[in-house]
Amino acid sequence: MSTTETPHATVRSAPRIRAAKAKRRPHLRRNLPGYLMLAPFLALFAAFLVWPLLNSLYLAFTDFNGIKPPNLVGLDNFTRLWTDDARFRKALGNTSLYVVFSVGLTTLLALALALAFRTTRLRDKTMRTIFFLPSVTSSMALFLIWGWIFDVEDFGLANTVLAWFGADSVAWLSTPELAVPILVFISVWGGAGYGMIIFVAGLNAIPEELYEQAEIDGASAWRKFWHITLPLLRPVTTYVLITSLIGAFQVFEAVYVVFRTTASNVGGVLDSALMIVPYLYDMGFGKFELGFASAIAWTLFIVIFVVSTVQLRLSRTLKDL
Amino acid sequence: MSRRLPWAAIARVPLYLLAVTMLAPFWWMVIGAFKPVPELSRNPPSFLPADPSFDNFHDPSWTPGKQIAGHVAGLFQRWPELPGGYFRFMANSLFVTTAVTIGSLLLAAMAAYALTKLEIRGRRIIFLVVLASMMVPWQVSLIPNYLIVRNLGWLDSYQGYIVPALAKAFVLFFLVQYMRSIPDELVHAGRVDGAGEFRIWWRIVLPLLRPALAAMAIFIALAEWNNFLWPLIIINDDSFANLPVALSRLSTSVAQNPQGMGVVMAASLLTSLPTVIFFFVFQKHFTKGITLSGIKG
Repeated sequence: MSTTETPHATVRSAPRIRAAKAKRRPHLRRNLPGYLMLAPFLALFAAFLVWPLLNSLYLAFTDFNGIKPPNLVGLDNFTRLWTDDARFRKALGNTSLYVVFSVGLTTLLALALALAFRTTRLRDKTMRTIFFLPSVTSSMALFLIWGWIFDVEDFGLANTVLAWFGADSVAWLSTPELAVPILVFISVWGGAGYGMIIFVAGLNAIPEELYEQAEIDGASAWRKFWHITLPLLRPVTTYVLITSLIGAFQVFEAVYVVFRTTASNVGGVLDSALMIVPYLYDMGFGKFELGFASAIAWTLFIVIFVVSTVQLRLSRTLKDL
Repeated sequence: MSRRLPWAAIARVPLYLLAVTMLAPFWWMVIGAFKPVPELSRNPPSFLPADPSFDNFHDPSWTPGKQIAGHVAGLFQRWPELPGGYFRFMANSLFVTTAVTIGSLLLAAMAAYALTKLEIRGRRIIFLVVLASMMVPWQVSLIPNYLIVRNLGWLDSYQGYIVPALAKAFVLFFLVQYMRSIPDELVHAGRVDGAGEFRIWWRIVLPLLRPALAAMAIFIALAEWNNFLWPLIIINDDSFANLPVALSRLSTSVAQNPQGMGVVMAASLLTSLPTVIFFFVFQKHFTKGITLSGIKG
């Protein structure tokens, strides 16, 4: 890595003093500690991230199945995935619905919570702790609890609550129309507290004088919110939106834990809870179509990249309005 | 904002109701863990265990190979072939989480120091590649990484968890950002005193980096404690399973059977406790860590 770079040391038109120094002692030897300190990170980064990414790009154009050596098949995986794969269409549709509602509702609730409980009073601190609790609880435990709450039997918590209102029991997890709403509900429940913490920091960074000035001008609470709070909160909002967007596209564990009924079924009844990453897992590690699964992985990247770029552009356009 | 309108208090009411909804699943887990087997399928369910017991953890009347109505193997009585049983998974999770957290912080802090305070050829390109890699979801490298780990013979091993998880791009990015705020003069002063770069890094830079390291440590440790998809793929042998994988397998083995759900809730409770306790002890660092990385990132 660094041996090839040593000859440049004398060619460079650097300031004279530095050049003279470099001549006295070669760059590499002088800076050896630096390279040694960088090397462990770079080596692992290259071995377990850069190389796998390149390799995965290559595999996406092959028919690799884990046993036979891969054959290049051109765009076959992508055309199959994008044009005639009903399961992928289902996964993409479910994921899109999930992302829109999960990100939208989580952000709205997080903002509402931050506005309501932003001070350092005991009441606000307690409420913040309650809403933040899911973020520090084992996610596997949470999904197992939700699975138990949405139990099909009458004694499940969800069905008990329905019974209080005189409604009949529902087979929650095996009703296809309820799969995505349940996943959205679980993610909003689990994610709002995290966004709230970020919004609270954002709110507290807004100078108090702005509000005082507005008050002197006789602005209503609503106008203050609309003309001071929201515009100044925009960078924080964008951050919350983008990070939860990226996280929502990668949903896996909730689907796998709450909706899997048998060992070979990852997406719930009629694939009603199937999402992109569970589908990738199913094709890659259930059916061992590793080439095809790599094409799913790169499709996931493209989708996330396009959506977050559009989102960033949108936020910038809004700022210029 | 100092004067509060009366409707502000009214608007909070639904949020208080929501707080009850927030706590309900936790309560459901805790009482589920302490309900004896027959009570788990009572209709309507009890909201305070009528007859709380530790049977879901250890049932004294359960005997291997015998079916007694109303008794199932408690959590600590399962995995008899595994020394330590459930505690083996707890130890695995603790070990892997600690190793990944410390290892990845040291590697990234060292690399960040070299990139910001030392003369490194091509550091812009290195930093750019690291930044670019953060845009790619990690699942994209999942399949090749599985193949690499399989070829190394690291399936069902601790190395399989730890080594691929050590170089974290976002940690390096964050530490580089933070390192830029440390004045170069401090580093120069160390050099004037004749300290080597490694010594300067360890004695001067790392202590100054402590807030950033604490923030990152919480993120890494929580993520590793919850790590599921990767161990699901590389771990087959129960003796190397971490808590999420062991819990998932436990719930599959009692699937659809309410009798076993008490044990699953007991396991969930024990798995959640360490991070929740950790949170209450280091509460300040948690919120600080989130906002530090949130506002800067």
